[in-house]
Amino acid sequence: MKNNLVSEAIVLNELKKALVETLQVDEGVIKPESSFTDDLGAESLDFLDINYRLEQAFGIKMARHFLLEHIEEMFGEGTAIDDEGRLTEKAVTLLNLRYGGNMPEIEAGIDMDEVPAMLTVGPFAKGVMDILNTLPEQCPQCSSSDWKSEDGMKVSCGSCGESAVYTNGDDLIVAWLTDVQQEKNIF
Amino acid sequence: MNPDTKKSRVVITGYGMITPLGRNCEETFSNCSHGRSGIDYIQSFDTSGLPCHIGGEVSEAWIEKLENKDAQKYRKYSSRGLRLMQIATAEAAAQGGLSSIEDRHAIGVALGSHGENPKPQDMHHLHQFLDDNGNWDIQGLIKDGGYRYWNFFRRKPDVASSLLATAFDCRGPNLTIVSACAAGSQSIGEALRLIEDQQCKVMIAGGCDALLDIIGMAGFLLLKALSEKHPSPQAASRPFDRRRNGFVMSEAAGALILEEREHALARGATILGELKGYGASADAYRITDPHPKGLGAIIAMKSALNDAGVDIADIDYINAHGTSTSQNDLTETRAIRQIFGERADAIPVSSNKSMLGHSIAAAGAIECILSLMGINSSTILPTINQEFKDPKCNLDYVPNESRTKKHHTVLSNSFGFGGQNASLCISRYND
Repeated sequence: MKNNLVSEAIVLNELKKALVETLQVDEGVIKPESSFTDDLGAESLDFLDINYRLEQAFGIKMARHFLLEHIEEMFGEGTAIDDEGRLTEKAVTLLNLRYGGNMPEIEAGIDMDEVPAMLTVGPFAKGVMDILNTLPEQCPQCSSSDWKSEDGMKVSCGSCGESAVYTNGDDLIVAWLTDVQQEKNIF
Repeated sequence: MNPDTKKSRVVITGYGMITPLGRNCEETFSNCSHGRSGIDYIQSFDTSGLPCHIGGEVSEAWIEKLENKDAQKYRKYSSRGLRLMQIATAEAAAQGGLSSIEDRHAIGVALGSHGENPKPQDMHHLHQFLDDNGNWDIQGLIKDGGYRYWNFFRRKPDVASSLLATAFDCRGPNLTIVSACAAGSQSIGEALRLIEDQQCKVMIAGGCDALLDIIGMAGFLLLKALSEKHPSPQAASRPFDRRRNGFVMSEAAGALILEEREHALARGATILGELKGYGASADAYRITDPHPKGLGAIIAMKSALNDAGVDIADIDYINAHGTSTSQNDLTETRAIRQIFGERADAIPVSSNKSMLGHSIAAAGAIECILSLMGINSSTILPTINQEFKDPKCNLDYVPNESRTKKHHTVLSNSFGFGGQNASLCISRYND
């Protein structure tokens, strides 16, 4: 279902807080189009820290693998990255579908090494929102539909008090890829 | 000739190792020359639930059989890495006739090692003596006696160097190098400096690590640095291959006897080769990513060449760090191209880790020894699992089969996570 308890503004705010604390950057420089690596100076280790902070804040589980890794896992070696280490047409189609054109520089044939720099703040926040939107209709414990959130971040059942359980980031990507493949028959 | 006449020339008079592929140097070298893999499913602990189930383990039966009386005496204080190192050192010491040297103050130890990881059950037990307010019940801990104090010693890397010196009666300089994947090569390089500077005549130098446990793997798994996707354990370590997806951790130990040339000649020791040069550097860039242009790697290799007084035209083979991670193999390739230019196409470059996995602090020592054995047997060891060419990794990686080729001078690379780098220049001995 669509989650109505945690707003996009709060997600963006928490992501900014995580970036400020992890990367020691000024909040003012963080824009939706900022590249994690090129503009904000993130290295691979920082993503662990950023993910951890968001997981703690919202009670979610972020994806451990990127979309391209899931494509190769599901549809075979070479489906996302070709023999020359370049992005395939189909991978670009999927990236655009997933991030809604928020990665404007992306096109088939670009070198895989250039892809990490294209990860920007906006699509990353959308990824967090996608996980939060998997809040089930009813509490799995007591079947109540009375979800509540006191701080606008952590959601729990208003009836039994259980914390909300969301689909984890990796499972969400796999489910999304499965749906897209069924609908558009890309591979 | 060494260009700096003030410095002593340093030769190698003994070596020893124990690896997933052999109980000693000969067995390991032979298996490597046949392109065999020492990687398999991990047996020593339950890997259920982990995304990686493979590693390069040394057979416990081998260790039990090879441990000498001294090693058994210190066993309760000894990390598994040190147990392996005592076996490797015993082989090197026997070959080098170490026990016949009278002046024991002239012999030092330089060991690359990280100590044993704490066991989860030890940590759990320890926590029982910590209350909710953060106060420790030390008296209770002492009374319980259950937190065995020698576990503490196993974790301290300095204890390994100290016990090694005790076991082999080496009363000269004693140092421990803790610099991740560069530690083995750095310990050999720093030992070279001590002999050159006349601080001692002989050094036991090398490295050991046995970190194949949940604590050792957890951090690397979080970083996605270990290979998780592979058709078989044996095909997982594939340095420079397009389908490489992480390194494979292994355990091992390698020991060399380094000796001032004049000292070795005077006592009639058999000289197996010469350690001509050493270079070290830091990327000073990031904790886990190497510098994208390999600047630290370039400085280490160039420094080793300068120190050895050799030209790029003199290098016949490069024993690569070649971890099978996407970043290292690409960066190392770029760094080699940057230094050697067009000549890079004519130099065989191979990774022993394709067969042995990555034994962290032991790797540099083992690769140094295998390089020397290769020189002395005119054999260049292969990089196995070369199936899918990576267009960006475009050197001669000696794919899949060893090569017979007379060669004289080798560069051996070790580039650590965190950007600590070391290169060694090893050559055939010419008097």
